[in-house]
Amino acid sequence: MPIECLVLGAGQEVGKSCVVVTINGKRIMFDCGMHMRYKDLRQYPDFSLISDSGDFTSSLSCVIITHFHLDHIGALPYFTQVCGYEGPIYMTYPTKALAPLALEDYRNMLERGGEKAQFTSEHIAECMKKDTILVDSWHTIHVDKDLQIRAYYAGHVLGAAMFYAKVGDSALVYTGDYNMVPDRHLGAAQIDRLQLDLVISESTYATTYRDSKYVQEREFLKAVHKSVASGGKVLIPSNALGRTQELCMLLDDYWERTNLKVPIYFSSGSTIQANLYHKILINWASQNVKDTHARHNAFDFRNVRSFDRSLINAPGPCVLFASPGNLNGGFSLEILKQWAPYEENLVMLPGSCSNGIIGSKLMSAKIPTQIKLDENYDITLQIHKLAFSAHTDGKGIMDLVTFLSPKHVLLVHGEKPKMAALKEKIQSELGIECCYPANNETVTIPSTHHIEAGVSDAFLQSCLTPNFKFWKTNVGSDERTPPILQVHDDRVGQGMLTLQNPRKLAMLHQIGRLRLISLVKNVNLFDISLAREITGNSQEKMASALRSAILRHIRVPVTQSFVLNGSRLATVRSMSSHGDDHLDKQAVIDRVLDVVKSFPKVDPSKVTPDVHFQKDLGLDSLDNVEIVMALEEEFKLEIPDKEADKIDSCHLAIEYVHNHPMAS
Amino acid sequence: MEQRLLAAAAAGRNHNQFPKSLNAFVSLISNPCTSDSTLTTTAETLISHLQSPNSNHQQILSLLSALSDHHPRLRREVVAAVKYFILLPSITIPALSHALSLLDPADSAALDLFSDESLFLTLCFYECGKIRKWLLRNVSIFRVRPSVLLTILLGFTMDPFPYIREAALDGLVMILNDGVVVEDRSLVGGCYFRAAELLFDADISVRRAAVSAVSEWGQLNVASNPDEYKRDLSDALFLQLCVMVRDMDVEIRVSAFDALGKIPTVSENILLQTLSKKPLLSTKEKIYPGQYTEKLSNIPATAAAFAFLHGLGDDFFQVRRSACRALQTLMVPSAEFACGTVDILVCMLSDASVVVRLQALETLHCMASHGHLKVAEYHLDMFFSILIDNDALIRSAMRKTLQFMKLQKLAMFRSCIENLIKNLELYPQDEADTFYALYRIGCSHRKFVIKIIQEVSQELEPSLDGKLGFNKVKSAGLFVLAISAPVSLERKTSSVPPQIFSYAVTLLGRICHGLVDVVDENTLLSYLSQCSRFTFTSTSENIEGGLLDFGLKYNRIHLHEKSNEVSSPSKTHGPSEFTSPLESHVKSVSCVKTIFQKIVDLWPLIQLGCMNEVARTLRSLKEETKLFTRDSHRPEGVIVFAMNYIHAIKLLGNAWAYSLSMTNLQLKGMGALEYLLGKMERGLTEMLYRYVGMTRNEELHILELMLVTYAIRLACGDTCHFEEYMRKLDFVLCSIEYLYKEGSFEISRFVTDLQNVSREIGNSEDKAVDMPYLLLNSLNLFSLQHIMLSGELKHLDAEVDVCGNDFRKPLPFVPGLPVGIPFEITLHNISSEIKLWLAISVGERSTQFVFLDLNEFGGSDEIRKFKFVAPFFRTHRVKHLVLKVSIGMESSSENRNLKRYNGPKHELIYLSRDTEVHLSMVVR
Repeated sequence: MPIECLVLGAGQEVGKSCVVVTINGKRIMFDCGMHMRYKDLRQYPDFSLISDSGDFTSSLSCVIITHFHLDHIGALPYFTQVCGYEGPIYMTYPTKALAPLALEDYRNMLERGGEKAQFTSEHIAECMKKDTILVDSWHTIHVDKDLQIRAYYAGHVLGAAMFYAKVGDSALVYTGDYNMVPDRHLGAAQIDRLQLDLVISESTYATTYRDSKYVQEREFLKAVHKSVASGGKVLIPSNALGRTQELCMLLDDYWERTNLKVPIYFSSGSTIQANLYHKILINWASQNVKDTHARHNAFDFRNVRSFDRSLINAPGPCVLFASPGNLNGGFSLEILKQWAPYEENLVMLPGSCSNGIIGSKLMSAKIPTQIKLDENYDITLQIHKLAFSAHTDGKGIMDLVTFLSPKHVLLVHGEKPKMAALKEKIQSELGIECCYPANNETVTIPSTHHIEAGVSDAFLQSCLTPNFKFWKTNVGSDERTPPILQVHDDRVGQGMLTLQNPRKLAMLHQIGRLRLISLVKNVNLFDISLAREITGNSQEKMASALRSAILRHIRVPVTQSFVLNGSRLATVRSMSSHGDDHLDKQAVIDRVLDVVKSFPKVDPSKVTPDVHFQKDLGLDSLDNVEIVMALEEEFKLEIPDKEADKIDSCHLAIEYVHNHPMAS
Repeated sequence: MEQRLLAAAAAGRNHNQFPKSLNAFVSLISNPCTSDSTLTTTAETLISHLQSPNSNHQQILSLLSALSDHHPRLRREVVAAVKYFILLPSITIPALSHALSLLDPADSAALDLFSDESLFLTLCFYECGKIRKWLLRNVSIFRVRPSVLLTILLGFTMDPFPYIREAALDGLVMILNDGVVVEDRSLVGGCYFRAAELLFDADISVRRAAVSAVSEWGQLNVASNPDEYKRDLSDALFLQLCVMVRDMDVEIRVSAFDALGKIPTVSENILLQTLSKKPLLSTKEKIYPGQYTEKLSNIPATAAAFAFLHGLGDDFFQVRRSACRALQTLMVPSAEFACGTVDILVCMLSDASVVVRLQALETLHCMASHGHLKVAEYHLDMFFSILIDNDALIRSAMRKTLQFMKLQKLAMFRSCIENLIKNLELYPQDEADTFYALYRIGCSHRKFVIKIIQEVSQELEPSLDGKLGFNKVKSAGLFVLAISAPVSLERKTSSVPPQIFSYAVTLLGRICHGLVDVVDENTLLSYLSQCSRFTFTSTSENIEGGLLDFGLKYNRIHLHEKSNEVSSPSKTHGPSEFTSPLESHVKSVSCVKTIFQKIVDLWPLIQLGCMNEVARTLRSLKEETKLFTRDSHRPEGVIVFAMNYIHAIKLLGNAWAYSLSMTNLQLKGMGALEYLLGKMERGLTEMLYRYVGMTRNEELHILELMLVTYAIRLACGDTCHFEEYMRKLDFVLCSIEYLYKEGSFEISRFVTDLQNVSREIGNSEDKAVDMPYLLLNSLNLFSLQHIMLSGELKHLDAEVDVCGNDFRKPLPFVPGLPVGIPFEITLHNISSEIKLWLAISVGERSTQFVFLDLNEFGGSDEIRKFKFVAPFFRTHRVKHLVLKVSIGMESSSENRNLKRYNGPKHELIYLSRDTEVHLSMVVR
């Protein structure tokens, strides 16, 4: 069954991440975010697309939240409390701990601005009390009998995770936001090499190439040091969670090293609470923090203290962390207004500021300038743009995709032109299919479907016993290098797939000319990928599809799939060449009889042109199939299933072949 | 009793009861009184059990092993049974390994089993994957031809089971490490590309193994191709490994960087690409053969993008360190690449992990010593903050790096000096080292030194009340800096105010301690006092010609000439001016001469037997000589010679005193004397052969001492070795005669007398009786002469070491198979004509010699440092082995031929101390 992806948010834009994936009958909602720019219902994903009836609980298997940022979790209270979803919700421990903090912060900010949020404090509390199931990094959870999910460490913010979901043979990874390089307080994303049909990746910085973190850190420190040394005050607008901790660690370390005595302040109480979480959840921190925390917890800042309003205009230099990070109101804006007129002061603007807000205005402004807020402000302070980002850059996305090598990539959470560029790169460089649907679009992606097949003893034997061959070939297109030796393990290549009856596949071993072996074991060792052909539901359709697949070309990887020599299989089953010369009947009779006589189970003396396979020769239905296949081989023709089932005697076989226009 | 036990044991025929009869078997086997027939029955019973598929094979095998150990007579049958058992298809892994361990590969009965490849191959192609794994892991037990083994291993890289693929890859690496030479180019390529394919395996352990396989086979692939392809293949290998630096597994990343560091030549544009995320113009379209992803073969050159910066910014310090280390080799050929990495390396200096900081410093140091380190101004802060790091190792490494740095601007130099002085103030314990750094950096930035000293010369002046503020650490540092300033000895001008030199004298001791590698106290004193009388010229141009540098090692010879030049006129003008400046060699020679004179004075005391007195004096002389060896450099040949000589004289004195009193001899026997004489003989032989540049006089002196040794021995009635020592005596006498014919010098009376005695003894009938008296007479004629040292002596010396090996970290070996031991060998003053042997001995008797062909290892005669893997063949069946290893020189002059296979033809003179090598049996 193909995987269906309904992109409810973050399609060709950044904000309100929400993707609903239907995979082998299971429906999973990844993330449930809100868009920060809108204040009305547009800020939420259009949940009605999931279910017309509004019965979300039964139409979704589960909701998975990757991390606590509002554009990934913001709509969750609305979805559970207002829309009434009551199914399971999966998130990591830190996300669960920090999400109420983030949601509450947002609500408070709105209320301060005189607006009303779509959900209340109670909603948040209720929502968090709900059936949330906590996961830890690298833990596999069986949601139900078929669906299993696993969280992988994603970097980005405390508790961010990538999720792997598998139903039956189809599997996908939803990355959420992630970072492929470690920073001061968090490690880089880590994941296993998995067999995947689909990776849904964020692409915020699809075309950006970020410099090494050392350069970024040096520039940041240099700017801060310069301003502080000349007696200026440094304002760093940043959200309480994540960025503040990273920069604090950096500054604290630098302060220790250079023996600076300038005070560093936190403005809000939530920062202290966030610090506490960072201190406790040391398992989710970077390797370095983990290694050293026994001696000194890196989040115990030695030079940082909390801020008091009276200090705003106190003389002397200082560094202040104030929220919110995007300067669109709140305390950080208030401080900016106060400090803006002095040119020795410095404001550190975050790397990405959404359009329209004051941050981006400052970024493009030439200093000194005037900025119009509720009244005019003179801006003479220096502005430095932070190069830090918790998101991976274009190279990181490529690295992850290269590492995972899925069959398809779906990009979300990015700007359209950048996504297009990245798609082009993924397709041309890695040869992986890629798409980036817009919001509310559904994409269908073919998935792997493995069919269980019985195996004959001989085939099993041949698979267990090494059977390698060596031959020389040219590697790649490079003609300069001499041909090199390649090794092939042919123990798989000689298998043959047959249909015992429309429902059951059998794996046979071919020794010499078709020898029939009774089916004994059902060994789950073989994954037969017949992906594309099997799309229909009905057994019959499936069987015929299978049949044609088998006859055309099969690839039979054994557990670990090596590239098989397709050519060898093709020679076994080559149906292509048809001659025009029609056969005369006697020749047909002789050859059919030869085929039947050469069949191992058959006593050649019994074979006559009128003999019935099952009644006279004691063959079973499977043998029947083998004989038909042998005939196909002999006469280089293709016998449709329906016809094949009818051929149960030599007579019919001869008639069929004789009348077949293509027989040769 | 025996019968009852046998009955009990036989009851165990029924498999269910076997455990019960186990004890009966054990008693029967271990009791020495058990009759042969019973034992035979027991063996038969056990063997029949072994062949039945249901019994507990492990237990039976242990019983059989005990049986064959206690009763070797039954060994053959047991081995035969086990051989049969191994080939049973139903065998399980523990039983198989147990059974194989029963068979001794050295045993002739089992030999065919192990040397015959058929068993190995049969077992390999069993259906059971576990057996295959066990075999691949224990390949070394079997004697399989490398060609067969290689084919098998290559085949098994295709196995569906990951652990077999892993074992096969490990085996491929092992084959190369064992020194198997693979010549077939297509086979090498095959192995390499197969390993490259497995870099994308889903299983982590396979990927890990694949990285090292790709590295090893890749290098072989590069080496085995014709030169015109080498560059491309090397680049391709580099890119192939670059793909792995973004793997999610830490170990894989570490080994990928380790492997990258092993690639000697990489195109510059690819190296530069590793520093940039964007595709560079020079690499944009290039494609190399290899494996890019599981499906894509052909790696674009852009795959290297940012590889090193990812590594240096990794979350795990192991990866950062490894990436840093890899840079060390890769930056050597490309200055531009080195330049690009400096930026990041400097940032790495503030890394949280000490190991990484050290490695970064080491890389920077390496870069500086290759002249690639161009320091920008904004780096300096970071650099200098390291000077006040908490960790002493880091500070020291930083100072070492500083010494090589080239600073373009005065301001940079100034802040460097300031920070060094800050280092000095904060960490007084670093004083000596910091002084040295100041001196060295001063030497390489003389113009800046002049400027700085002129600026601060006011500060250095005594204050108004006449007190010198020199105890200040800062002043001390500046004085050291001033010493590095150029002066002209000929024109007697100095570029810094000369009074500074005289101020520096007040801190002579401290400064000297820091510059101990460069100069000794007296020379420095004379230098300073001389310079303080110079006139001051502020222009440095006048001084260019007379740069005096006693710092850089390679300038030493140059300096030596100069000092002679300077010192010789001074001597003619008058001794009071100053003694030869700064040349410790001349000084040590003169010192040794005095010491030798003192030794001659001791002779009367020795003759009187006042050994206590003599020993005390000799001890003090030894101490005096040791003073010259205290610096970290290798002591000069003269000094080592003097030490040896003093030691020999001490032994001589003891032996002399011993032989004087015959009562002593009668009471205590020859034992102690023999020991003394033996030691002395060895010492003298060493002195004779281990120095290059000895004059005839010196040689004669030592030969004479040897004669004394032999004479004492023979005189005191060592009858056991009479013939041997007479022969030796004659040989030495011949040598003396030979020397005498060549040059003009007198032969002492002692020698002439001894010549007569030797002739007489040759003619006499009853040698042993006459001889002692005759010899005692000639001994009385002996008196110690002054040994005249004329020139420079070079000490032949060797050091052999096995890195990181001690009893806790033994090297693995497999009994019966040769083991390669990686030695690190350092040779001093050994020319390539000398035949050197590595003597590896186990216990007292068995010694194996390995020839060292010096032409194969680079280096100069003066010093050669190389790594050498020597095979050791005689590994016994023991768990641990301790080998003693030393380096010996074949003495060409000794005319005795030793009949030895594969060893030196002449006596060996050992040049190094015994090094112990610990080996331990491989336990998997």
